[in-house]
Amino acid sequence: MTTPLLEVRHLSRSYGRVRAVDDLSFAMARGQITGFVGPNGAGKTTTMRIAATLDIPDGGDVLVDGVSVLVEPRKVRQRIGYMSDQFHPYANLDVLQYLDFFARAHGLRGRRRQQTVRTVASFCGLTGFADRPATGLSKGMGQRLHLAKTLLHDPQLLILDEPAAGLDPRARIEFRALLKELAAAGKTILISSHILPELGETCDSVVVLEKGKRVVAGTIAEIQRSVQHQQAVQLRLLGEVEAAEKFLATQPDVGEVAVDGDRVRFTYAGGDEEMAALLARAIGAGLRITEFGRIEADLEDIFLQTTKGNLQ
Amino acid sequence: MTAEAAPVVAAPIPDRLDLLTRLSDRLNPILVREVQQAVKGRVFVLTVLGALFVNVIIALVVASNYKGGATGGRGAFDAGLATLAPLLLFIVPMQAYQSMQSELRGGMIEQLLMSELRPLRIVAGKLGAAMVQFVLYLSVLSPLLATSYLLRGVDLPTIAVCLSCALVFCVAATSFAIAAALQGMLPAMRPIAWLGMAFGLGSASLGMVGYIGSGQCLRDVGWLLRSSEFGMVTSAVLCGAIAGTALMALVAQAYLAHTFENRSTGFRVFLLLAPPLSFAWVYTFVQASHRDDVVPVATFLLSLLGIVFGIFMVSEQQKLSPRVRAHVPRNAALAACSSIFLPGRDRGMACWIAYFVLLAGLALVLWPATGRGFLNMPQSFARVSTLTLAYAAIYLTLGKWLRGRLPETVVFNHGARFLMPLLVVVGCLLPLLFDVLVIGGVDNWHFGHLLNPFWTIDRAVRDSGAAIRGLVWTLGGGCLLVQLPAMVRGLLEVTAAAAARRAQAATVAPASAVEG
Repeated sequence: MTTPLLEVRHLSRSYGRVRAVDDLSFAMARGQITGFVGPNGAGKTTTMRIAATLDIPDGGDVLVDGVSVLVEPRKVRQRIGYMSDQFHPYANLDVLQYLDFFARAHGLRGRRRQQTVRTVASFCGLTGFADRPATGLSKGMGQRLHLAKTLLHDPQLLILDEPAAGLDPRARIEFRALLKELAAAGKTILISSHILPELGETCDSVVVLEKGKRVVAGTIAEIQRSVQHQQAVQLRLLGEVEAAEKFLATQPDVGEVAVDGDRVRFTYAGGDEEMAALLARAIGAGLRITEFGRIEADLEDIFLQTTKGNLQ
Repeated sequence: MTAEAAPVVAAPIPDRLDLLTRLSDRLNPILVREVQQAVKGRVFVLTVLGALFVNVIIALVVASNYKGGATGGRGAFDAGLATLAPLLLFIVPMQAYQSMQSELRGGMIEQLLMSELRPLRIVAGKLGAAMVQFVLYLSVLSPLLATSYLLRGVDLPTIAVCLSCALVFCVAATSFAIAAALQGMLPAMRPIAWLGMAFGLGSASLGMVGYIGSGQCLRDVGWLLRSSEFGMVTSAVLCGAIAGTALMALVAQAYLAHTFENRSTGFRVFLLLAPPLSFAWVYTFVQASHRDDVVPVATFLLSLLGIVFGIFMVSEQQKLSPRVRAHVPRNAALAACSSIFLPGRDRGMACWIAYFVLLAGLALVLWPATGRGFLNMPQSFARVSTLTLAYAAIYLTLGKWLRGRLPETVVFNHGARFLMPLLVVVGCLLPLLFDVLVIGGVDNWHFGHLLNPFWTIDRAVRDSGAAIRGLVWTLGGGCLLVQLPAMVRGLLEVTAAAAARRAQAATVAPASAVEG
């Protein structure tokens, strides 16, 4: 059995009376993209900063590749790339000089440094901007430069705090593509974002936090199953919506029924066999059904269902 | 991506890099980046142009007034050095300050700390950049300085001493500026740090310009070069500047290090190195005829240094942080020996006592080597020194007790450091207020003024003050005795951490043996 690349163990951190992180535990397997989701003040950034060795927990520990952030922070730093939610590049440096500086700071020397800088710049689509001032880049290109800097020392784990915040739709799509390429290259990524549909498309698993506590964690499919005790089903009909509503109200395992134009949505507690029988009965009752299917909960639904919107 | 590849990226990387690139690999990355930024910045361009302009003006003025003679170049040299002073004492440190501030504001410093750069290397890089800027500014003014030599009146040793001092002062001022910039990590300290730095550097620059411009600088250097005290004075200036730079670098490093990382050991090592190095300087550079005066002064100054460091050491958090605990030496004896160097106010008190034991021991051993001898030192000096120490012990104990009442966060460490001098003020003021409001006037010293160190020492030093002396010494000694259990607790925490590390290593070793 392989050890997880990131293991958060009973992590706690308080700022005065505010408990930012409260007995938080979760693990991330290698090569996984995990979304870190929660309302503002849920403790996402605090957890990420602790994992990045930039903060210290009051209790618990974080292990990166089996190395404790408390005991051997320098070894941890070699294994992680942390992209904070702030990016303020140096004045009077162009893009290549900026990357070259960080490559030097990571101990890269000679040809290897030059090669790495070019490779990373090319990967992040910065080649055409190499001689532009780092402070003169657009928000989207700035985030690419920020990511490029994070990749220079080839870290195993990337911790990205709100990387897509403030990006326009095109930049977001391009950035998402970059993340997918990184995951394909074997990087493990922990990413926090408020843009949930994007996380849903990018992530293998999510950890939902609220008031510093883990609300739910796992793959999106697992969470969908765990939060949807009663599945939601949707019908689309040619007319006869009221008849369909009356019909469903008399059927076993059918819960709440709601009408929305030519659609009828209802909760259903039965299994697949029962659902097939229900469809057959509906057709037998003369309902002209054009669509029939489950409504899968997306990340936004999961988020709304699992969190209460409590802020601290 | 629509933009085409920039030529610099498109060009192939040569198999063998040029010498300059290979050399730059050996340099501190911060130094490389700071110089890259500085020479591209507007400030550098403007100051260089300004210095060149002043150069030309000075050259024209000197040429128009030149009448030959043996001192024709003095004016030109004074003017050139006076132009260099604000560049080195104000502009270069200010740039280091701005650079550090912008790194703090943008969270860039965290990104740097995530790399392989350690705090001390970051500070060293910035000091190195200051030295490079010194060379650049010097090269701008070098034609003028060379002309002043050729016009006579200034010899090469004078130029060498002046420029060496300029370099040392520039680096010291830059380290001060970096340390001041890092105070900005605490928002409340930001304006104070800015004002302190601007005032300090501004007045130092103006003072230096006046000193050089008046011609006094060259006269003093000329005297120094002919004097038998050349070694003593130059080594004192150099050692003082190096010690100041090292201390400022430690301050900067402490601010850059994480709150829970070990910020204390560097300072404690610095403190405990100060007495042996100071006495070594005295016995190496100070002539025997001066030692009777220099040794007591050095001892007294070292005592004051110990008291200032004591305030910082006894106001730390009590316990070892998880990170420090994880790096305590495993060997029990080594751990016990390292205890006084590790963070924590109990261990800080022990370190403070160790410092004064070391200082007194060195003084006892080395003082007889002076003409007068330790035992023959003035009685009043001995009384003032020991009473000052007793008061230091009393107030540090009170301060430590006060720190213990405050929450165990870093902010309250700073809070306690401000409160401790206030304790002395309160100890002085309250009895005076009592006298004024209740007795009707401040007539004479009484035991209510015992916590007023200034007045009490003044009374106790006299021959008639034996009872007061005894009381103060007893109180001071009593305070140290009261601290004994806490100091033992501090030691035990370290040995326990060492034992935990040994136990952890013992459990890991068999596990790896099984895997092997």
